Amino acid sequence: MSALVLEASGVCKTFGGLKAVQSFGISLAGGDLKGLIGPNGAGKTTVFNLLTGVYTPDEGKIALAGRSIAGKRPSRIAAGGMARTFQNIRLFGELSVLDNVKLACHVRVKHSMWASVLRTPGSRAEERAIEGKARGLLDLFDLADRADEQGKNLPYGDQRRLEIARALATDPKVLLLDEPAAGMNPQEKKELRDLIRRVRDEFKTAILLIEHDMGLVMEICERITVLDYGKTIAEGTPGEIQNNPRVIEAYLGVEAADAPSGASNA
Amino acid sequence: MRHGVDQHAMQPGASSLTTLVRAWAPVLACLLLAVVLQMVVGPLLVSAGWDFAAKLLLDIGINVILAVSLTMVNGFTGQFSIGHAAFMAVGAYVAAGIVYYGSFRLFGSAEMAGGLLSSAPEGRQGAWLTRGDALFGLSILAGGVASAGCGYLVGLPSLRLRGDYLAIVTLGFGEIVRVLIQSQTTETLYDPEEIAKTPLWQLPKYLGGALGFSGLPFYTSLFWVWVFALLTVLVAYRIKSSTYGRAFLSIREDEIASEAMGVDTTRYKVRAFVISAFFAGCAGALFAHTVGVQLNAGELGFVKSFDIIIMVVLGGLGSISGAFLAAIILTILPELLRSVSEYRMVAYATALILMMLLRPQGLLGVREIWDKRTWRWLTGSRTRKRGGS
Amino acid sequence: MDGLAVGSLYALIALGYTMVYGILKFINFAHSDIFVLGAWMSYTVALCAGWPQGQPTHIANWVLFVLVAVGVAGGVYALVGRLRLGKIPSGAWTLLLVSGWGFSAAGLVLVARALFAADQKLVAGGVILLVSMLTCGVVGFSLERLAYKPLRKAPRLNVLITAIGVSLFLQNVGQLDWMFGTRPQGMPALLPDKVLATFGGTPGATAGSWDVQPIQVRLLDVIAGGTSIILMLALDRLVFHTKLGRAMRAVSFNERNAALMGIPVDKVISFTFVLGAMLAAAAGFLFGQKYSGLGQPAAAIWVLLGLKAFVAAVVGGIGNIRGAMLGGLLIGLAEMFVKAYQSPAVVDIYVFGILIFVLLVRPGGLLGRVGVEKV
Repeated sequence: MSALVLEASGVCKTFGGLKAVQSFGISLAGGDLKGLIGPNGAGKTTVFNLLTGVYTPDEGKIALAGRSIAGKRPSRIAAGGMARTFQNIRLFGELSVLDNVKLACHVRVKHSMWASVLRTPGSRAEERAIEGKARGLLDLFDLADRADEQGKNLPYGDQRRLEIARALATDPKVLLLDEPAAGMNPQEKKELRDLIRRVRDEFKTAILLIEHDMGLVMEICERITVLDYGKTIAEGTPGEIQNNPRVIEAYLGVEAADAPSGASNA
Repeated sequence: MRHGVDQHAMQPGASSLTTLVRAWAPVLACLLLAVVLQMVVGPLLVSAGWDFAAKLLLDIGINVILAVSLTMVNGFTGQFSIGHAAFMAVGAYVAAGIVYYGSFRLFGSAEMAGGLLSSAPEGRQGAWLTRGDALFGLSILAGGVASAGCGYLVGLPSLRLRGDYLAIVTLGFGEIVRVLIQSQTTETLYDPEEIAKTPLWQLPKYLGGALGFSGLPFYTSLFWVWVFALLTVLVAYRIKSSTYGRAFLSIREDEIASEAMGVDTTRYKVRAFVISAFFAGCAGALFAHTVGVQLNAGELGFVKSFDIIIMVVLGGLGSISGAFLAAIILTILPELLRSVSEYRMVAYATALILMMLLRPQGLLGVREIWDKRTWRWLTGSRTRKRGGS
Repeated sequence: MDGLAVGSLYALIALGYTMVYGILKFINFAHSDIFVLGAWMSYTVALCAGWPQGQPTHIANWVLFVLVAVGVAGGVYALVGRLRLGKIPSGAWTLLLVSGWGFSAAGLVLVARALFAADQKLVAGGVILLVSMLTCGVVGFSLERLAYKPLRKAPRLNVLITAIGVSLFLQNVGQLDWMFGTRPQGMPALLPDKVLATFGGTPGATAGSWDVQPIQVRLLDVIAGGTSIILMLALDRLVFHTKLGRAMRAVSFNERNAALMGIPVDKVISFTFVLGAMLAAAAGFLFGQKYSGLGQPAAAIWVLLGLKAFVAAVVGGIGNIRGAMLGGLLIGLAEMFVKAYQSPAVVDIYVFGILIFVLLVRPGGLLGRVGVEKV
């Protein structure tokens, strides 16, 4: 196992009187694929927002590749190697599919804006490289023939995949996927599963996945963390989680219907 | 894919000569076009008796600079500045002060001392460019830089303020600039000896205040206006089509996603303000030295800002060519409609409202005329592939 | 004292900005023009009622003509709807409502005329205020329906631009010859004025110096300040103590949820606009009384006044009704102090300086909150 790329411990966040996240901890190494599950409102997306800097944690440590990132701007954290997708898709709707991915390459750009304006050889070469990289990602994600369409005109499943492609274009060490399978049909879900695995294997990225589809989570995640009311109630392999009484308790009655192969089967 | 950018950057693309030509040819073309306008088109128009057309070309050029520069803030980054005329005022007064008092100090009077490229078509003689032109050119840049400084100051609050609050700050800034200038002494010095005696740091006080700054030499010519107008367009285009342009546009599309992708949104917003203010300052400098203009801060208030906004919005927020076209049309139109001038603003206002109701993205949206998508849209052959589930 | 009076006028206008912002989250740039319209309407109505001053404007005939036209159109539409659909379409109701509203305004003008003839000037002044408020209410209503309602789902930038468009439209239509024209007019004095009392001050004080000015309490200031404070208290009661007010607050809190709870969102929004417009009209009327000169409708001075009222709303915390009142008074007082102790020319610098300062220190305004966008 390679060195840890993401290490969080004791992370807390309170909104008003509500303890949204309490002493959350997780560690990911390159190539890890972990899941984060929990009933609605358990604080999963808040965890993502804390990790990516949208919220500042009240307490706790978060380190990305050994450097502390708690309290930094989201853009700095992204530059440090954290990328995410959004639960409610946030594409750049008016921009073309290709430009969406190209924009994400911006964070690694080395030439200055003046070089862009003067069209220096360096800036030209880098623009070409970005183009190549973006097209490559679109190929991988099966979006190449939609490259010139506007992001907002894509079908839902394609938008979700484009979000992942865009996140990957930032060359992340850690990739956070917020419900990537939401709204997908079984066929698309199967493709997504293969895609996530492929991304992990090819890019050696650590992936943390929030997902309501228990089948998907249990199948691809090596370890799973379960949140309920902001607290971590369980952590372990899919097998352990499926048989954990506290997890079953948290899910039963609330989301039993949503989690057929997970909690309710156990 | 981790290899990505760095390795490819080392790849030798086209030969370095071609790259150099492609980088600088458009700049030279801008210069050349401006010279042609000044030396060929201008005299032709005048000899044909169309003096007004030559004058109109000046106004169009200045408005093009204003509209295209505002596009960078309002169109690219989606911020909403309603104080653009204030940047113009800053540039205008800085440049006017330098040119007016500089002329006295250097040449002994505020007479126009320009060469062929800054003279009116009639009675041309002498060198292409003179010391007077150098002074004027430098003053334009100084106006631009001063204005860019203000742009930085105005852009800074974007650290804390979202869209419409920022708009209010720009408005407040605009009013402060206007009132500051207007509340100064109304005196303008015109005695060479007195000017020579007054220490340099005291001269900026005498800018005419509420009465306006008169007696400025009329350096602004087709050459100067269009050099700056074309360069503004070129710079705007090159920014928009580069990775930095995508960063700007992403802020406008979705600030949170943009930040999550590593774009330091605050820094880019401030940058957009600075660049935009720079060009607006240049436009102000050019405006101040146009024939028939008596520089007065009262005219550079929010009414002027709204005029520029109308151009940007009608052209399409984010479209350089749209702003360019709108600037041309909205400069010519009032001249044509002179007989019904009181209805002009009513018509503008109606057009603005209807545009928002019926075609909210403006004439061209973010597109440019030369985009493939625009042609598809114009010719109606819009074959959108719908697929998936 | 002057400061309090002007401040309360600012507060009246600021309320309109704040209410609309609170509900629809956009800056209604056209609000200051409603204020101008209010001032000019009261001028026009005063002339129609027989005050012998200034140039008559042609608007009265037009208003009547438009009202009749709208009424007839509404009637025809209602009739057609009744025959073809079996019920009267809601659009027809709107038209009839507008025209009915207008006719009652016209009736009130006649009442004002009679009162003036009977030398009941103060009462006549009140009626004129009412007419101008009614008219502006109708205008506010139509603006919301025609220009803003179709954009309710549009991005905020578009709505902002539309508001600027509406503002320019109102200004320039107002300037047309057959409306108010482009000439400034003198406002007839509809309300009595005299110095009630004078306090203190350094003897022989001159403006612009650091001497203490004698404070004059003028009847007009008392009436203006009093009227605005009464209106504000009424509004405060309406918003915080009635069912309608609760609906308004609910819509402002969350439009969609309010709709789900069975609150007629459209009606509440229209009502808010009408209310804001009426307050602005009242401010216009009082302003016209205080400073008897009326600038042409698009004159920069008006726009600036509106802007300052807007500044007041923002300083107090936009979207917050009590904040707007506080902000208005604050700006009014600040303005008077600067005028008295420095120069009138630099007033605006201070006003906008306060604005920028407050926004930077407390981005939500003095009494406001800053919303956080949910990710």
